[in-house]
Amino acid sequence: MRTDAAISLSLATALDTLRQRGLGLRRGSEAPMPEQARPSVPTGHRSLDAALGTAGWPRGALALIDAPAGSGATTLALGTLAAAQAVGGLVAWLDLDGTLDPAVAARLGVSLEWLLVVHPRDPAEAIELAAWLGRSGLIDALVLDLGEWAAPERRALDRLAGLLARSGSTSALVLSPAGRTVTGVVAGVRVALQRTAWLGIGRDLVGQRVQAVVERHRWALAGGSAELDLWFGEGRRIDPLVATLAQPQPLEERPALRVVSA
Amino acid sequence: MTRLLALVWPELRVPDADARPFERMLDALDDLSPRVEAVGLGVALVDVTGLGPMWGSERRIAARAVMLTRVVAPLTTRCGIGDNRWLATLAARLACPSRPEAPAAFHAIDGREALRDLPLTLLPAYAAMRQRFTLFGLTQMSQLADLPRSAVGAQFGPTGERLQSLARGHDPRPIVPRRRPEREEARAAFEPPLDGIGAVGLTLRRLAAELCDRLRERHLAPGRATLVLTLEDAPALRVAQPFPQPALEPDWIARLLLSRLEAAARLRMLPNANLVDVMRLERPDRCAHPRENFGESMSLGVVSGARAAQHSPKDNPIGVWQEPALHEPEHGLEPRLASVILAFDRLSDPATRQLPAFEARAGRWEELRWSLERIRHRFGEGRLWRAVDERPTAALPEHRSRLVDIGQ
Repeated sequence: MRTDAAISLSLATALDTLRQRGLGLRRGSEAPMPEQARPSVPTGHRSLDAALGTAGWPRGALALIDAPAGSGATTLALGTLAAAQAVGGLVAWLDLDGTLDPAVAARLGVSLEWLLVVHPRDPAEAIELAAWLGRSGLIDALVLDLGEWAAPERRALDRLAGLLARSGSTSALVLSPAGRTVTGVVAGVRVALQRTAWLGIGRDLVGQRVQAVVERHRWALAGGSAELDLWFGEGRRIDPLVATLAQPQPLEERPALRVVSA
Repeated sequence: MTRLLALVWPELRVPDADARPFERMLDALDDLSPRVEAVGLGVALVDVTGLGPMWGSERRIAARAVMLTRVVAPLTTRCGIGDNRWLATLAARLACPSRPEAPAAFHAIDGREALRDLPLTLLPAYAAMRQRFTLFGLTQMSQLADLPRSAVGAQFGPTGERLQSLARGHDPRPIVPRRRPEREEARAAFEPPLDGIGAVGLTLRRLAAELCDRLRERHLAPGRATLVLTLEDAPALRVAQPFPQPALEPDWIARLLLSRLEAAARLRMLPNANLVDVMRLERPDRCAHPRENFGESMSLGVVSGARAAQHSPKDNPIGVWQEPALHEPEHGLEPRLASVILAFDRLSDPATRQLPAFEARAGRWEELRWSLERIRHRFGEGRLWRAVDERPTAALPEHRSRLVDIGQ
């Protein structure tokens, strides 16, 4: 018959052994171990960094920006790339539709010198290329812009997510209006964007106000939200006066386009 | 007195000429003189000063040069000897073969007096300048050479002065000997030959490390690697891979060569390739799809003609891997690897790689370029681009930047 002391000793020995193997088990009576901060890539918006709880997009993970067309997903992604470059990172943009405009990227603060643009043929190849880039461990943030293409296979996305997790250095953003069905399930982080107002100065629209809701987060508490002001034009380098003067305008009061005949 | 031998191969001077033998012809000329300059495709200058006691007269020296180059390629040669570059090349131009089928022609210009009766049209002048010479009644070298230099300069400018120097037989341009291309080589032979060539990755890594160690001592870095796999029952596989930048990183080089090998194997799967020796990539432990292992090439195997037809039919023109109909092992069909030869050339000073010392991101980008090169091998051209901010102040946004293929 073993005594309690002997059982406790053997349990302590077993726990020590498990700890040495990297398994952070503890007794219920012990204080919880301090959680290590997960490395992340800043989003370029402090409020969204705070809402995510991980100070940005987590590295080694797939994140989905779920937004209707024209709701600022591309602007937010370009802002992320610019923020990643600002701290010395290398970034990539996988452009399935070939719609990336380098001039717009440059205006939003992306340094073209350290931007890799990839043109895959189809979503499957895009996933494969993203895996190659993620595996290299040299790219800090990559954006996979699926455009109008259908979401890739679940299996391929699972493999990509696993590979990114093993690499642990790359944060991958997926832009896909229709990707919520499959990509949203695989992604470790899912952020939904919803336009709430236009930002205007007089009759000129200078930006849009977007509500970002963290719908899913595997490494922090989901449910956080942030209000982002996404500017048309010069982005991060916008004239502070414009940001000061801009006034929110209700969505229904957007000025109609005027056609001027020659 | 300096004596230069100019060798001109007219068949290499035509457009779309095959330039491949030219380098080897220059290499052959190294046996004659250590000072050989490649002036252009099909024109070489050799410093033959002081070679007389060893090889005999200048005609014999020229004949020896022709003999050395004709071993490489049997091309017609015009040889000229003179005191400087201009006189030597002019002599080669004036050389006339003694008979129509003669393999070589020889002409020597001894002294500057030999130029006096030659026409001015031989000078390397533009048509407009020749017309002006004609307008002034100048048709012979002597007429231009005898004029006062100041008068020529006043009338024809600096170009006229330079042409007058040539007409007088003066050419201050020295010969610039080319650096003989260096090549470091390492090899590994397998006796008995290996079954399959799955171990080529480890061998490559070892050979690359050996060569890098050799070059590091000399403060040199290679710009290109050539890999030759000698197979026992199949033609040798030879791939040449230029590097993104001169580097002394055995891991990068080995991985890049493996991906190049993989691309070469896929090329053999083209419909026009010899299907008997088609090679394909396959993991040894399982029949995996490349899309599953994300391009991790593990080993090469040879597929017989019947099976190759399953892998490279007309609906698979770029050699993309296809699921075979059968999964039986192909041990009997795998090539036996007899030897691996790895050679580095285009050696250069790695001083250009100091940028990472100032910008850490530049070092990472350089490392990334090696990965991108492998991606190019795996996925083909037209995938990887870099945006260039060409005209930041252009009025239209689409004119401010453009995409440049990283592989070019």
